[in-house]
Amino acid sequence: MLYESMSFLYYLNPEKYKLRKWREDNHRNSEQIVDVGEELINEHASKLGDDIWIIYEQVMIAALDCSRDDLAWTCLQELKKQFPGSQRVKRLAGMRLEALEKYEDASKQYDSILQDDPTNTAARKRKISILKAQGKSAEAIRELNEYLEQFVGDQEAWHELSELYINEHDYGKAAFCLEELMMTNPHNHLYCEQYAEVKYTQGGLENLELSRKYFAQALKLNNGNMRALFGLYMSASHIAASPKVNATVKKANVKYAAWATNQINRAYQLAGRGTKENKCSVKAVEEMLESMQITMS
Amino acid sequence: MDEPELLLDSNIRLWVVLPIVFITFLVGVIRHYVSILLQSDKKLTLEQVSDSQVLIRSRILRENGKYIPKQSFLMRKFYFNNQEDGFLKNTKRKVVPPSPMTDPSMLTDMMKGNVTNVLPMILIGGWINWTFSGFVTTKVPFPLTLRFKPMLQQGIELLSLDASWVSSASWYFLNVFGLRSMYSLILGQDNGADQSRIMQEQMSGAAIAMPADTNKAFKAEWEALELTDHQWALEGVEEELMSRELDLDGMFSKELPTGIF
Repeated sequence: MLYESMSFLYYLNPEKYKLRKWREDNHRNSEQIVDVGEELINEHASKLGDDIWIIYEQVMIAALDCSRDDLAWTCLQELKKQFPGSQRVKRLAGMRLEALEKYEDASKQYDSILQDDPTNTAARKRKISILKAQGKSAEAIRELNEYLEQFVGDQEAWHELSELYINEHDYGKAAFCLEELMMTNPHNHLYCEQYAEVKYTQGGLENLELSRKYFAQALKLNNGNMRALFGLYMSASHIAASPKVNATVKKANVKYAAWATNQINRAYQLAGRGTKENKCSVKAVEEMLESMQITMS
Repeated sequence: MDEPELLLDSNIRLWVVLPIVFITFLVGVIRHYVSILLQSDKKLTLEQVSDSQVLIRSRILRENGKYIPKQSFLMRKFYFNNQEDGFLKNTKRKVVPPSPMTDPSMLTDMMKGNVTNVLPMILIGGWINWTFSGFVTTKVPFPLTLRFKPMLQQGIELLSLDASWVSSASWYFLNVFGLRSMYSLILGQDNGADQSRIMQEQMSGAAIAMPADTNKAFKAEWEALELTDHQWALEGVEEELMSRELDLDGMFSKELPTGIF
């Protein structure tokens, strides 16, 4: 029933439908949103009815991304008129101050929201992003940890924390965050792949084994994940080349690496059947794989 | 079974069946808007939010712990269940059971619930019974036993009448439940006119009422987590993966997907 109403809307007003789709899928194509949204607001405001408020919010955030202060200001004013005293609007005002790099004022704005409603997660997260924007990563990490102690279920925050840790080269803790994400989203191949990459970077035989397993899992969840395929090849080759492994393990890993090589070649063959450019890239891949070949007995 | 089917006056259709449908529908819509107006904001404390999320995390650990390495699972299990300082074992919350007498907001909530839902149903049911009485309104398509006669044939004193022929009050009740899908079509999901959903909620409300029983919930989670073992789902993943070629269909088509627009 939802799809019928949505396709009905498409014919009536394609721009509105586009904006709604972008909103629901969380796309961050700010320039497109600004183009479509500005036209919609200026020309068709009367046709939008009550949807206009959420469109104002969406367009305002996109305008901040594109440095369109004028547009952001107009949207904010309209929203303030309609919803005076709303915390959601206050957060948008804070975001605008952030975009203008007035971090002190923005911080005060968010503090006032938190005074009224200590459970407001959006304001707390904006404060942490201010710290991140100012480059204070250690403080940002600390604040984010405190936030996560209260709100353990916030997946966006776990992902952000893992990124911050990776930037600080603290791979153990980044792995912990990614494990949380893998548990809550067991079918998401991207988290598996990221986790495997972190483990691979940490190094050491145990971590390499783990990374090989998780690359394999990512591939199992999504056969098309080329990055995981290369990762599988790399981790298997490294284990096979390590002097500390016994013969059976070495043999198994050589087998895995060979299989991965085959699949990579297949993929590159399929990628551009018959085009001239592709012949060069297939050859390049073969050469690369050979150069990465560790002597196998 | 009636061989000669009763032929009802078509006026009944025009002046009874349809008006009852309209009345029920409009009353439902009014109830929906009234419930929106009367809605009180439920303020959750930070602690409640935090606790409910911790419980969810512990449950996820139990269900999906097999996707993370054994060491990590044990680390988390230890954090939750450790004898000395495990979170689930040692956190005691001040529990205030929200009985209707002591907690004023609960009392008003209950009253509002009753006023918006039960009261109109009784009033209108009674009014319809009084207005549209004395005749048969419709026939239900399945045969009923005689035990249903006094319930469904209020006001019709015919001993030999088949129990499938019902009065207008029963038509009203049929409508109340039948128009549920109409309400979701017009008012969207989660509408205040959805009586049966509310009644369901009242019945399962005991199961959902978390705030009072945080301590019990923690204890239950602790027990469940104690029993959980780690069966690593990735034991044979490479063999499974390599048992067949990768499915690369559709990955490299000539035309790049252009999206919907």
